[in-house]
Amino acid sequence: MFRVPFLVAIALAIAFGGGIWSTLWALEATTGFGAIRLGAWEAFPEAQTAKADPYAKSHRAAAGALLYGSAEGLTFTAVTDETGAPLRTGCSYKIAGHTPPARLWTLYTLQSGKTNRPQDSKLPVALNSRSILRHADGSFEIQVSTDAKPRNWLAVPERGRFRMRLTLLDTPAAGSSGLIDLSMPVIENIGCGHA
Amino acid sequence: MLKVLFAVITGVVGAALLHLVIILSLPYFSEKDAYTRVLAEGDRHVFHRLPDALDRAGLVQNDPFMETSVCAYDISQGPIRVYAGGDVPFWSMAIYDAASNEVFSINDRTAAAGILDVVLATPVQLTVLRKSLPEPITQSILVEMQQADGYVILRTMVPQPSFSTNASTFLSEAVCAPFDWRQRQQF
Repeated sequence: MFRVPFLVAIALAIAFGGGIWSTLWALEATTGFGAIRLGAWEAFPEAQTAKADPYAKSHRAAAGALLYGSAEGLTFTAVTDETGAPLRTGCSYKIAGHTPPARLWTLYTLQSGKTNRPQDSKLPVALNSRSILRHADGSFEIQVSTDAKPRNWLAVPERGRFRMRLTLLDTPAAGSSGLIDLSMPVIENIGCGHA
Repeated sequence: MLKVLFAVITGVVGAALLHLVIILSLPYFSEKDAYTRVLAEGDRHVFHRLPDALDRAGLVQNDPFMETSVCAYDISQGPIRVYAGGDVPFWSMAIYDAASNEVFSINDRTAAAGILDVVLATPVQLTVLRKSLPEPITQSILVEMQQADGYVILRTMVPQPSFSTNASTFLSEAVCAPFDWRQRQQF
């Protein structure tokens, strides 16, 4: 005699549980469609516009971040190295190459809810295009590690995984119609543990 | 057994529907979106500088080399003018509507003489303004807004600590306020 209520309960539980879980997962996992992926770097040039897809609009409504306008810049985020393995603080990485054309850029490791200014922490926790050393052809090489490194060193937090953010300021890549050859610096794992 | 399978299929279809409904409607009822957070910063028509740690409005300045100010506007009563100028290596400004869609953005190289001077107005206000442009805004960029409210983000860069004084001056002197736009009209 309880068969029909039981079946209705199963249907409702799957509908509400699955619907809410899948929505939370989708909002957490992705910023939406329309990403530019260059190696490990990912950017969403249209996430702040009215043309953004419903997932991107939902994500930005829930995240409430202040996004960069198309004349301001474009933000690239990396959570993995070139091979797709997550970035871990136990390992050292080398970022080498060129950025797409941009007037200025900044590179830092992302920490939620807090700004890590290099002048406050005494470690080079963030770098920008004016402060780094370059090769004669304008390319650069940055070592990302918890240990001090010669030349360009980006210090990362003590433990856990981390994300890196490269913001290009005043860049034609933000309005890219695919005409510009975009090349991002390569993130390469150069060894784990204290060498 | 078939009935259980049928119930599960119904549940999955319901889950998919619910997923779509939440995704599509979230932007309309979210209380954590950027515009709500900017409003929580304080009064409209004033630039609020964002702190280095998450404030009670839920906003933070993430990039260690940038300084950011936000200003919520409402142009239903009259246009507002955004003005800033100063000796900084980089600045950029973006105007967003209440749904956080980008309406207009500009940086120091795309602005005339590196000075930020933008007037936000509704189409009706713009018609009135264009008939006789008031003296102070003859050089301004006029931006037509389809929606009356939203927010403005003003950023500047501090590539080295020595630039921070200039950046602070630039942001603290920035104006985002209504102005006398119907001075020649007789009532």
